[in-house]
Amino acid sequence: MITILAGSLTSCVVVKEYEKVNINDPDMALSEKKCDRNVSTAHSYREAAVGANGGKTGGGCGCN
Amino acid sequence: MGYRVQKRTRPGFHYSLFITENVIKEFRQTAQSLIRYIMTIKQIIVGCALFVSAISLAQDSTQVYKKRVLETTEVDFLTSYYTQDGDNAAVSGGIGTEELTDITGTFVVSIPLNDDDVLTIDAGVSAYTSASSSNVGPFDGSSPADPFQASSGASESDLWANLTGSYSHSSDDRNDIWSAKLSISSEYDYFSVGVGGSYTKLFNEKNTEVSVNGNVYIDTWNAIYPTELRPFGDGGSGLNDRLFTQNTITGNANYSPRFAAFDSEGRNSYSLGFGFSQILHKNVQGSLALDFVQQDGLLSTPFQRVYFGDVADSFIDDFQLADAIERLPDARFKVAVGGRLNWYLNEIITVRTFYRYYFDDWGINSHTASVEVPVKITDKFTLYPSYRFYNQTAADYFRPYEGALSTDEFYTSDYDLSEYAANQLGFGISYTDIFAKFHVWDFGLKSIDLKFYQYDRDTSFASSIITAGFKFVMD
Repeated sequence: MITILAGSLTSCVVVKEYEKVNINDPDMALSEKKCDRNVSTAHSYREAAVGANGGKTGGGCGCN
Repeated sequence: MGYRVQKRTRPGFHYSLFITENVIKEFRQTAQSLIRYIMTIKQIIVGCALFVSAISLAQDSTQVYKKRVLETTEVDFLTSYYTQDGDNAAVSGGIGTEELTDITGTFVVSIPLNDDDVLTIDAGVSAYTSASSSNVGPFDGSSPADPFQASSGASESDLWANLTGSYSHSSDDRNDIWSAKLSISSEYDYFSVGVGGSYTKLFNEKNTEVSVNGNVYIDTWNAIYPTELRPFGDGGSGLNDRLFTQNTITGNANYSPRFAAFDSEGRNSYSLGFGFSQILHKNVQGSLALDFVQQDGLLSTPFQRVYFGDVADSFIDDFQLADAIERLPDARFKVAVGGRLNWYLNEIITVRTFYRYYFDDWGINSHTASVEVPVKITDKFTLYPSYRFYNQTAADYFRPYEGALSTDEFYTSDYDLSEYAANQLGFGISYTDIFAKFHVWDFGLKSIDLKFYQYDRDTSFASSIITAGFKFVMD
C-alpha cells in the first residue's frame, strides 16, 4: 500500500491508452476472478475479517 | 459635374440635394467598407458554422464509434464443491464435528442494454449437508446422539438461494460509472434483502480511479434453537417435555438451562466503502480499499450452544445438553483496509498480491496476505498457483468449550471467532479461446477456469474447495 501511495503521489508518467496492453491483461485486473467468488464467500463465512477486497461485506448469516 | 435630386417629402414641400463627386466617392468607399464588413461577417458565420458542424460531426462520430461498455451478452456459469471438517463445532458448544459439504451453482448474465448501460442478473443456489447443523436436533436421528456424529434429523441439510440484479451506467467518455443493485437471498432460517449503489470516477487519462460504494442489508432470522432448550422457552413444559420423559438425562439430572428466545430477530448491515486505484507503470498497477461496516440486531446465531464451566453437565446419550445459547452484543463495527498490487512481469508471468488489515469493536484484529502467480504456458492455457495467509485474534466474548461462566454477560464458543492462523494453497488452470469457437446454442465458449484450494487452520479445522467457471459470449 505504501508503494502504491508513494508511486501514485510521485509518479508523473501517465500511461497512454496505447501503452496499456499489459495493464489490460485479464490477469492484471484489480479484483478477484469470478471463479474465485465462492472461495471468498467461504472465507467470509469462516473468518471474522471481511471487506476491502471488493467482495461482500454483509448480508446472509453464513452460520453453518 | 453634379446631379440634382428632387424628393417630395410632404405635400407642398420640396427640397433639392446637390451631390458632388466627393460625396459619391465617399459613398463608394462606405459601400465598399460595408461590403467588406458583410463579407467578414459572412466568413465568421461560415467559420462558426463549419466549427459547429465539425463539433457535431465529432460528437456524432463519438456516438457512432464509441466503444460499447459491453459488446455482447455474456453468461458465466460458476460452480463449486466445498467440504470442511474439524472438532470444534459451534452448534455443540466448541466440541463436535464441523463436517459440512456444499455444492453451489450460479449463473451470471450480463446484458448490454445500449452502448452505456449494462444489466446483470446473478442467480445462484447452494445446497449443503452439515453434520454440524444436524446437531441442532441431535436426538431426532435413529442412532445415539453424539456431537462427533451427524444426526439424520431435519436440520441436516438446507438450500440457500440468491437473486441479485444490478444496473450500471457509464458516461460517454467512460470516466463516470454509476451502478445500483438489489439482492434477495433466502434459506430456511434466514432471509436477506440488500440494496446498494456505487459511483466510480476515472481521470488522469484513465490512469487513476476513485470510487465510493454503499450497501444496506436488511436481514431476518427465523430463529431455530437447540432441541433441548425449546421446552424451557415461553409456554414450554420444561423437564416434563417428551424429549426428557422419553430419554434419560445422565450426569446432572436436574437440568436447568438459561434460555429465553430472542425478542427481535432482525439484523441490519450497513457498509460504506472507498476505493482508489492507480496505474503506476505500463506493467504495474495497484489499488487501495477502505470499508466500514456497521451491524445491528441479532448478531448471535440462535442454535449455537454454550457450556458453562460453573454448571454441572447433563447428557442424553453422549450428547451434552446446552447450558445456554451464545449471547453476543447487538452491534458490531468493522473496519477493513486493503490493497492490491499487480505486476505484469513479462509475457509469461504476472504477479498478483493482496493485503488486508481488519479490526472490529469485538476485539478482533486480523491480517490477510495472498499472492497468486499466473503463468501463461501457451496462448490458451494459464496456470494459477497461489498462497494465502490469514490470522486473527479472538473476539472478546470467545470462550472455548466449558470456558464461559454463567455470570458472563456475553459468550460464544464459535471457533470462527477464536484466535487462529490459517494457510491456504491453491492451484488452477484456465483455458481461453478468444474466438469462442465451441458453441452451445448461440453462445460461444470463451473461457474455462478450474481451481482447487486447500485451507488449513492451526486448529483441527480444514477445508477444501473445487471451483469451476465457464464463460460464454453471445454471437
